[in-house]
Amino acid sequence: MITTVTLNPAIDREYFVDKNEVMKNQFIYNDEDLKIYPGGKGLISAINFKSLGYQDVQNIGFVGGKQGMFFEKMVQKQDIISNYIYTESEIRNNVKIIGREPATYTQYNDYTYRVEKEEVKELIVRFKRSISESKCILISGSVPEGVDFDIYQRLIKIAKDKGKHVFLQASGEALKLALKSNPDIVTPYFKHHKTILDMEMNDKEDYIRAGKEIQKQGAKRVMIPFHCDRLLFDKNGDVYQLSPKGYCIVNWLGSSDAYNTGYLDYAFQTEDFDFLEANLRGGAAALWIAENKEIYLQNREDYNSYLDRLEINKLEV
Amino acid sequence: MSNVRDYMIRTMNSVTPDDSIRKAIILMYRSEQSVLPVVNHQNLFVGTIYSNNILKNIIPESFGFLDSSRLFYEVNEAVENLKYVKDEKVEKYMARNRDAVKEDSDMKKLADIMLNNKESVLFVTNDNGFLRGFIERSNLLHYLLDETESKTAAEE
Repeated sequence: MITTVTLNPAIDREYFVDKNEVMKNQFIYNDEDLKIYPGGKGLISAINFKSLGYQDVQNIGFVGGKQGMFFEKMVQKQDIISNYIYTESEIRNNVKIIGREPATYTQYNDYTYRVEKEEVKELIVRFKRSISESKCILISGSVPEGVDFDIYQRLIKIAKDKGKHVFLQASGEALKLALKSNPDIVTPYFKHHKTILDMEMNDKEDYIRAGKEIQKQGAKRVMIPFHCDRLLFDKNGDVYQLSPKGYCIVNWLGSSDAYNTGYLDYAFQTEDFDFLEANLRGGAAALWIAENKEIYLQNREDYNSYLDRLEINKLEV
Repeated sequence: MSNVRDYMIRTMNSVTPDDSIRKAIILMYRSEQSVLPVVNHQNLFVGTIYSNNILKNIIPESFGFLDSSRLFYEVNEAVENLKYVKDEKVEKYMARNRDAVKEDSDMKKLADIMLNNKESVLFVTNDNGFLRGFIERSNLLHYLLDETESKTAAEE
């Protein structure tokens, strides 16, 4: 059983129009111009794992209201085991309007979702019993309003006390506190913060300093996005830079989730784990998503064919 | 051969024997499920809690025979009883049946179990007894419809 955690899910709605104009009614008649799908970083990875052939994949988190039920139906349709705490408040809807000519992208991000204390308490109880079959837990994404920033710290502690491996993708205060519970793998992201552990990220040295600090504060291995590259911090102190060659990015959405999936899929499949090889798989999966108009991975063959378009160089630090 | 896993609903929505009846009721109405699986602290299936069974315990005398002249009295009595029952544990009201089906069971076998036990919902576990979800009559009908249509297509 693979467990992924999504605390702040959303229903993502994409509308494709010829030209996005203010004060103009738009009419959508074609199915292809309207996409509705369940969003949330942990969930996207869960769907990827299903595509790669894993039988039991569960997604733990919160959903709320009638839209939460709709979200859950979409998740179950992907054959993911839903494991949600039902909240009083309705979950989020993110709306994206994509204009073709000229190419425009307008996004309305909904941050109205709120979780009550009793519901958080319930999540902790459910999480404790639901991870008994999993060896590895992937915790990824933002934290909704009403949930304290120490939530990841608490979840990781529970998982580590039960001997599980934890892969964490987080940002801001939630990341900072989570390090106290010693997650095995950490990858920060920058959606809402341009800092890591309150440090401004400008040049490569800042990123290297941040990676080292994350390790110092409790993580065994760290991967930090650095423009289109990744800086890799192995547990022995070595630092590497993973770079794609000759790429053409058409889509960011889902690429970091594909990276997490590719990395962990390699870890699950091998008995002789190699940190650099795991990152090559992750990088290839992310590159495949970035160069294709897809959010989810479809199979290993697709992205493994991108492996020779990546290089890793050791950095002298 | 079609398996239960082809038609089931995958969800870990559940309560434990230690949970309160209040928690079970909230979960029932929020998830729109009137029957919930009960699992232990390892997520192993141990029984079922039915909304009917909770109702029977708060309107003990006349459940199923409510006539309109007594309705107001009965509802008030139920509200009073629920004040005490809501804090009691699920284990007191759950059915400790083991009628869960395995996810790789044949759908034909499921039809037999569902119709013989008059259960509208059966919980699904893996081979080790861990909860995987549930399957209900509408899923059984879905399977039967698929069978009918594939048989008709083969005859044509």
